[in-house]
Amino acid sequence: MEEKVESKKPQWAMVIDLDRCTGCEACVVACHAENNIRIAGEGPAAGGRSVNWIRVERYYEGEYPDIRVKFMPVMCQHCEEAPCEPVCPVYATYHTDEGLNGQVYNRCVGTRYCANNCPYTVRFFNFLDPVWPEPLSKSLNPEVSVRYRGVMEKCTFCIQRIRKGEDKAKDEGREIRDGDVNPACVQSCTARAMTFGNIADPTSEVARLSKSGRASRLMEELGTKPRVTYLSRGD
Amino acid sequence: MRSWKVVLILLALAAVSVVFLSGIIGKPFEPAQPIAFDHWQHTSKQGEDTPKLECTDCHENADKSRFATIPNVSKCMICHETMKTESPEIQKLAAYSSRSEQPPWKRVYWIEKEADVFFTHKPHIRAGVDCTTCHGQVNQMHRVKRDVDHSMGWCIQCHRENRVSVDCSICHR
Repeated sequence: MEEKVESKKPQWAMVIDLDRCTGCEACVVACHAENNIRIAGEGPAAGGRSVNWIRVERYYEGEYPDIRVKFMPVMCQHCEEAPCEPVCPVYATYHTDEGLNGQVYNRCVGTRYCANNCPYTVRFFNFLDPVWPEPLSKSLNPEVSVRYRGVMEKCTFCIQRIRKGEDKAKDEGREIRDGDVNPACVQSCTARAMTFGNIADPTSEVARLSKSGRASRLMEELGTKPRVTYLSRGD
Repeated sequence: MRSWKVVLILLALAAVSVVFLSGIIGKPFEPAQPIAFDHWQHTSKQGEDTPKLECTDCHENADKSRFATIPNVSKCMICHETMKTESPEIQKLAAYSSRSEQPPWKRVYWIEKEADVFFTHKPHIRAGVDCTTCHGQVNQMHRVKRDVDHSMGWCIQCHRENRVSVDCSICHR
């Protein structure tokens, strides 16, 4: 085991207020643009091979016309006790000291055990090499690698933005603070339903919100200790 | 008689290839550049009117961005508009400048795309890593050659020695 290099690392976490989510899917679009997520096409998508690091789940309550729709954005929960990690035979998925569930594409040999073991079904396998129709291939984000055939991929909490935020904080010689790092989904959320930050810092917005009485975690009973907290609807 | 000849020819071929290959193997990569730019002359040459430049004087984005960047020809021409204009290499430079073109410099160090490595110069300069640690004694080179093998083990070793994070996602993402 590696000894811990720095003692005080930020611990990244997210809070999603379901009372605010309108289900507009701006987060999904932003995520696709930011993270070079391939476009599956109609046929493969129908066959369950589309890739969406974040998706918006819909729940219907009641009968028409007295119907209510509830939305719930679901991405990798970055579990502290992640079920995907111990099953990887090559340590391609591992836990970083910042509490992220990392995915190393070079190491991945494509056993797909991790996706099988994930209760949230947020891991996606590249069955084919990605293809972008022109001119979309020119809009790829240079800060993110383009995944190739045979590797698993999933939400990284926009690791490239985390690194950029940490770099900026180090330049200014200070600790990381709220607003330094915002993943693409959080930045694009029109209703400001999502909050991202360092949960180890008690003064941060995520630390405050995650202690709310409305807070719960997805499938908490499995003991995965997710890093994403949902604030339930107040109805 | 005939088989003897064949054996002799084969032996001769083997000898030639051994000599040829030993010339290539173990020699650092040292591509010919469009203009014979001499790093030593610009940084280390002792004399009265030699420039004695720092690396970041020309590679001015090393401390600001991912890339150190090769300077624009217009930067060279700040001095070479008037200096050493009689040299044929400087005349080549001036020709590029007058056509508003950049010389097709050959890359000496790069990371394969398949490696998925996002190396950034900036934090290394901020941490005070000397340019020569990773690029060799470029200030003593007439033509730049690849003196340091940028393998992952080599990166990790330096990160460990200096107690920097060796988390995969520091470089791979």
